[in-house]
Amino acid sequence: MKRPSLFSLVLALPLLVWQLAFFLFPLLFLIAISFWTVKMFQMQPDLNFGNWQRILTRGVFWDAYLRTMILATSAAVLTSAIAFPASYAISFKLSDTAKRWMVFILIIPFFTSYLVRVYSLQVFLTDAGIINAALGYIGLGPLPLLNNTFGTLVGMMTLCLPLVILLQTFSLNFVNRDLIEAAHNLRCGRLRTVFAVVVPSAKVGLVVAALFAFILSFGDFVSPLYLGGGNPPTLSIMITDITKSGQQWPRAAVVAIMMIGTLMTVAFAAITYAYKERGK
Amino acid sequence: MTSNAIVKFDNVVKKFGDFVAVERADFEIAQGEFLAIMGSSGCGKTTTLRMLAGLEDPTSGNIYLDGERVNGRATWDRDTPMVWQSLALFPFLTVQENVEFSLKMRGVGKAERSQRARKWLDKMQITEFADRNIAQLSGGQRQRVALARALVTEPKILLLDEPLSALDAHLKVRMQAVLSNLQKDLGITFVYVTHSMSEAFSMADRVVIMSRGQIEQIGTPEEIYRQPHNRFVAEFLGSANIFDAVVEGKAEGGWAVKHEGGSTVIPMAELENAKPGDKITFIVSAENMQLSMPAADHDGIEATVVGDEFVGGTAMIFLETSTGQEIKVQKSHDELSTLNRKPGSKLIVNWTSENCHVLPGE
Amino acid sequence: MGNESKIINGWLMLHIALCLIFIFAPIAGSFVFSLNSDRFPSLPLGEFSLEWYRAIWEDPLVWSGFGNTVVVGLTVAVIATTLGFGGAYTDFRYNFFGKSFYLALALLPPTIPVVIMGLAMLAFLSRINLSGSTISVIIAHGVMCSPFAMAIIRLRLSQMDPDLEAASWNLGGNEWATLRHVIIPFTKPAIFAALFITMAVSFDEFAVAWFVSGLNETLPVKILGFLQGQVSPRINAIGSLAFLSSITLIVLAQLLLRNPEAGKK
Repeated sequence: MKRPSLFSLVLALPLLVWQLAFFLFPLLFLIAISFWTVKMFQMQPDLNFGNWQRILTRGVFWDAYLRTMILATSAAVLTSAIAFPASYAISFKLSDTAKRWMVFILIIPFFTSYLVRVYSLQVFLTDAGIINAALGYIGLGPLPLLNNTFGTLVGMMTLCLPLVILLQTFSLNFVNRDLIEAAHNLRCGRLRTVFAVVVPSAKVGLVVAALFAFILSFGDFVSPLYLGGGNPPTLSIMITDITKSGQQWPRAAVVAIMMIGTLMTVAFAAITYAYKERGK
Repeated sequence: MTSNAIVKFDNVVKKFGDFVAVERADFEIAQGEFLAIMGSSGCGKTTTLRMLAGLEDPTSGNIYLDGERVNGRATWDRDTPMVWQSLALFPFLTVQENVEFSLKMRGVGKAERSQRARKWLDKMQITEFADRNIAQLSGGQRQRVALARALVTEPKILLLDEPLSALDAHLKVRMQAVLSNLQKDLGITFVYVTHSMSEAFSMADRVVIMSRGQIEQIGTPEEIYRQPHNRFVAEFLGSANIFDAVVEGKAEGGWAVKHEGGSTVIPMAELENAKPGDKITFIVSAENMQLSMPAADHDGIEATVVGDEFVGGTAMIFLETSTGQEIKVQKSHDELSTLNRKPGSKLIVNWTSENCHVLPGE
Repeated sequence: MGNESKIINGWLMLHIALCLIFIFAPIAGSFVFSLNSDRFPSLPLGEFSLEWYRAIWEDPLVWSGFGNTVVVGLTVAVIATTLGFGGAYTDFRYNFFGKSFYLALALLPPTIPVVIMGLAMLAFLSRINLSGSTISVIIAHGVMCSPFAMAIIRLRLSQMDPDLEAASWNLGGNEWATLRHVIIPFTKPAIFAALFITMAVSFDEFAVAWFVSGLNETLPVKILGFLQGQVSPRINAIGSLAFLSSITLIVLAQLLLRNPEAGKK
């Protein structure tokens, strides 16, 4: 084993040190403080399971957990389902130039403030907002669009849709075009080819795209709060509430660790499923 | 080390993990020699060159450059410039900046750098492109830039790693001439790695043939062609028929040997010491084979035509004996006109003793 | 058959259009509302007005937030690009024990929910007495932005002929000289793209910054404050300006990446 050169260390170490100190270590610290206690508004190092017990035995937490799971799963499924025809059309029907433009256009939302978009959506969705006013012209009553699950899901989909379309398009671009012609040649119909050939070939990318939608929605606190009304809370809202309302960070840490555990389990399951080979 | 050797490989071994890339390379390269290292991909020829350049370190053994042991010395502390298969010209620099690069790395001042680079641009006849971008040059022009860039420090040795493989046939031949003349003019050592026999044989003073990390033979092109050392070299050259045989005993002027489908006499000059029962391998080149129509009492071995292939003015006939021995015969079209060489037809193949060559390495 | 496929293609194109409308309606809406006199815009729209822009122009809190955003953005861009460059080169050049750990550590931060990052950063930084300062935002954004810089520069390195670097060594340049004269010139467009994109990411990041910034709020954190308090179309005005500056950075980055040899005579 060769000793690493000074050169390689100078290049490799800064990032490693930075991410160890400011990324991995804070996350590990989070685990540590979940066992700490709060006395006189001060956190005290401790090995106390009280925070865990308090959070995990409360119905409010499990309600929020279930709600967050359902919201994130719905957002992932809905976004994937809505994105797929668009990704399919971009990948298979557009010229290369149009494709490049599409990718560029879909990158733009990442650089707009999510907060500003959510605020704008409030204006669209309120009872007296743009959409209900438009509906009013054709004689439909104001629909409740804001401060409910619908509003939350719209917000999450605004957040996830561009990313999911991009990821799906990239994976569809790698589907071997000969396979599709071969399927047509074997008298497999248009729609059947999509489900029998295209979807399985792009499975990894499609699953990864849905996974990202899940992760983003699961951790999002802006849509549930400002479009969903925030009550009853999701896990992310719980964390911000607990953190901002006092020094009960250890309890927030318990919620955060439960979230990370869930995300890791879901990610692991999704990746395993995505790479599972047939016939083994 | 002989007095005029510039490079010496002394029992050099290179392993990548468990994979042995070069196994006991042991040879010298003379000052001013054009040496080609030839073999198919993965044979270790490029690794050998990279060890000489200092881009890889030998696992064991020593490499001497100009009398000095250079193991462990970084490539930037050697003067062993290389011309790369990909040419590796810097796309963000102009032609002249590319040529000046190694002078700049050596801290040569701007004026001198420019003047020395100009000299090599002139020599390579690419002065007019000095301020161009690399992307604007043709393949041949890029070759010249790569040569100028490598030679600008006036090194004693130039390493070339398949530099012509991307060129079309015509340009390749032209660049071969450029390289040959350049090497003679400069009088420096060229070490040229290639998988192409025609490149190696047409330019090199000596050729090293490698396979699977081993050196199979070193010699002048003439020696290698006339007297391949072993079965690998004979097969690599491609035009020889290879026969396994067993010595039966002394015969008129040599040794009688028995091989698949017949027997033949190997001249004494080819096989000095032998005893009955010895196993040998001998070759007969395709152009020294004779073909005739089957006759009642033929002298030779009977074989079935498998097919043929036209190579310019000659044809290569492929045959197979009943025991599976493959035979190829190269003849002019005239000579073949009297023969029935439809696939499946039978012909008689024979050769004379003086065209038999025993492979000493088998 | 021909007709049928035309109809299908038509539906697919319509679907793309609807998706784009869904994605861009809030963005476009925010522009329109920012130029509208109504506090609660609805149909029919109120009249054209620049009053929200005037409001933010005259708001010292917005200016201090903007100042913080710029300071943080510029510093983060330099730090994240430097760290990302080192990581990208390390991945490009070296194989070593624990490399997958190194890469995971380098690239995973964007997959951690921002609330969790925020909480972890807050707890950790306040423990070492760094929370509530601009530095804490810079530290957090450095973690979150360096993966983007690393990915962009790594992509550019993978377009490099691997012999280029060895050729430079072979021509007498040691590793440092080669870094300076070959690797950096070759990756220059990606380095600038990374600077712009990390700056843009930092400009828009609000959640972690909200957790750790204390009184030194960046502009997005201010917006979050506006959202929690009274409804104010000032958000739209700020958002529109922020969007224009982000998009300028992205377009610059795109131009650099699209045509790396541009700017060369």
